[in-house]
Amino acid sequence: MSQTISPQLGFLTIFQESQGYQGGYLVTNSWGRPLEFRLSSAVQPNRVQQILYGTTLLEYLHADLIGKTLIEKTSTATHLLVTDCPAVLAIRDRLDLPVLLLLPRGDEPEWDGKPLTAHASPTTNGTLYQESRHEADVARIADLLAGVDASLDLAEPFGRIREAVGEARKMGGANRAA
Amino acid sequence: MQPEDTDALPIVEALDLLCLIEAKPHPRFEKPLTATARDMRLLSDAPWIRSLGKLDFTVQTEGWKFPTPMSESAPKPTPDDEVEMVEKPRPASQMQDLPDSPATERKPKVRPRPTPDMVLFKDRLLYLLQPPLDHLFTGKQVSVPFQPFDYQLEGIAFLMPRHAALLADEMGLGKTAQTILSIRLLLHAGLIKQVLIVCPKPLVFNWTRELQLWSPDLPFEVFGGDLESRRTTWTVSKCPLKLINYECLTRDVDFLKDDRVAFDLVVIDEAQRIKNRDSKTSVVVRSIKRDRSWALTGTPIENRHEDLVNIFAFVDPGRIPADTPPKMLSALTSDCILRRTKDTAQSEMPPLLYRDLTLPLAPAQQEAYALAEKEGIVHLNALGETITVQHVFQLVMRLKQICNFDPLTGQSAKLEQLVSDMQEVAESGRKAIIFSQWVEPLKVIAAALHEHNPMEFHGKIPSADRPGILDEFKSNPDRHVILMSYGTGSVGLNLQFTNYVFLFDRWWNPAVEDQAINRAHRVGQKQPVTVTKFTTEGTIEKRIADVLDAKRKIFHDLLAMNGPPAQMGLSEDDVFGLFDIKPPKRR
Repeated sequence: MSQTISPQLGFLTIFQESQGYQGGYLVTNSWGRPLEFRLSSAVQPNRVQQILYGTTLLEYLHADLIGKTLIEKTSTATHLLVTDCPAVLAIRDRLDLPVLLLLPRGDEPEWDGKPLTAHASPTTNGTLYQESRHEADVARIADLLAGVDASLDLAEPFGRIREAVGEARKMGGANRAA
Repeated sequence: MQPEDTDALPIVEALDLLCLIEAKPHPRFEKPLTATARDMRLLSDAPWIRSLGKLDFTVQTEGWKFPTPMSESAPKPTPDDEVEMVEKPRPASQMQDLPDSPATERKPKVRPRPTPDMVLFKDRLLYLLQPPLDHLFTGKQVSVPFQPFDYQLEGIAFLMPRHAALLADEMGLGKTAQTILSIRLLLHAGLIKQVLIVCPKPLVFNWTRELQLWSPDLPFEVFGGDLESRRTTWTVSKCPLKLINYECLTRDVDFLKDDRVAFDLVVIDEAQRIKNRDSKTSVVVRSIKRDRSWALTGTPIENRHEDLVNIFAFVDPGRIPADTPPKMLSALTSDCILRRTKDTAQSEMPPLLYRDLTLPLAPAQQEAYALAEKEGIVHLNALGETITVQHVFQLVMRLKQICNFDPLTGQSAKLEQLVSDMQEVAESGRKAIIFSQWVEPLKVIAAALHEHNPMEFHGKIPSADRPGILDEFKSNPDRHVILMSYGTGSVGLNLQFTNYVFLFDRWWNPAVEDQAINRAHRVGQKQPVTVTKFTTEGTIEKRIADVLDAKRKIFHDLLAMNGPPAQMGLSEDDVFGLFDIKPPKRR
């Protein structure tokens, strides 16, 4: 079956604060209009969990626990995932969803020793990378990026997510998720 | 020790080894020892080990889905789906950019914000998560003929989240465009589905044109035709945007009682039309079933502070309690009102140059005027206590007409000057608007200015002909002047291609004069606009001009919320004061 649609974009960010790691996930249409927003509760790993998970803890929290859960619970489809957290790149191994990492210009294009491949995005205030080992994604991502409205700065929705998370905290929204 | 060393040892006294040893019972061993065995789960029970705590992680999520047109949100694809993406053309310059090319300097983004009275988290979230407006309009999804100005984006960001709003920008700043774009974005986002715009009849064409310009993708319907046709529009049509004039709305009041007639948003243009709370128009407008209420006006207070109170009876019934002191109005309404002036909104707007031209009357006019004034005052005084403000008005009107033209000879100091000025305007290739209170002087002026191909736009021109006149005036470079009456031409028209405005005579209310001037001095104007106000020396015109100037100052003070005066228009006392006549005792 073939269908012609504009890509829907998922913006996922996970940040660490005093209460632990918390994720915010915004799905927009190709020009940035919000379609769905999902928020996770804060996860604070204890000492034993830190010892047991060791160096895999960060990837587990970002990719498995928070990231994958947020994406799977969201009812609106996403064609391309954009994140500003390198550890979220590992979601690509768990879901059939191309993932792009947005890094500020000039940052080291490497994550955990894994090489990254850059993608052109003229309107985005930053540089986009995917993990080089997912070679098949290169053309797919390029196609998807071509369908994104030229006016959309892919860095901008992260500001919205952070603002929404702040508002949720102010109004007790985060407690409902916790 | 070696045996040969024995002799060398010192002699040691023999030890007494016969000491008695006494055994005493110890309390701890009195009880018999018994061995007991019990199961002990060494790995889980205290005190043998400390708890490891939770080993597994749990996370909970909460989500919010926003209203979206069906076509915008694709369902989650099944694994077999093959998705073909739309290839969107991009400007060549963008394709050639390198990914790491330096970012261009970006302006602060303008986004809708949740209003303070928005209680539900989901509602607040919806507006917090909206994309910046400037991005929307620079993209291809929301096409606009030209980029809205920053202050217009702020106006859209103000309107979008509000259920009660009064956009009170000074005339000429583009209230119509801001409103249309706000409606368009709300409809696109699926936040509203049915919109009604109410405007004065002469402005229906203007709204139609602006809708086509700013929202070409939005279907709209104008109420018209016979009763049955209008009934269909009210009750059957699913068109998302409907446009009606105040007169038609008042006629169709019975349809408003139908439960099917309800709107997500009602916009009233020139909202000063409902400044009298008990007028039929006002009552009918307030009776429309609606979720959001927006009012547009450049003059929210034409005469008294009650004007604003009565507009708010539509915008947000109950926000202003009865008998609220004027000083409290600002605090009660500030969150719902947005007003910008050209000075603050558009520093790049070309200047508005005022030219107060006080001319001596022509000899014949002088003679006629002196006689009429003398006889008129004698007549007024003779009326004694029976005098009314209407009597004074009659004299004022008579004198003002003489200030325009001598009734016998047709001599006119103003016309002479105007003909000379228009020569200069036409020679420079510019266009001008001339306003008068009456239609008759406009006709005389038209004859005098025939070489400049004048066009007329006033109450005696049929409504159907008016759009064509405006188009001809705009497009034909040989048409240098349009003659307008204040009543017909002062509101809602976009004539920013004109650079000269002549007020041949003066209106009673400064707000109306400002509206007239702002037909030319508005968004899109590239050149300075010169406004010539004609008055005649030593006449009633000069006295009225002085009163109006004082009123204009009060108007600006009021909008700066410095405390509104009780009355802003020409009061009865003002009218009597024009002739130094004391008003009669109140009956």
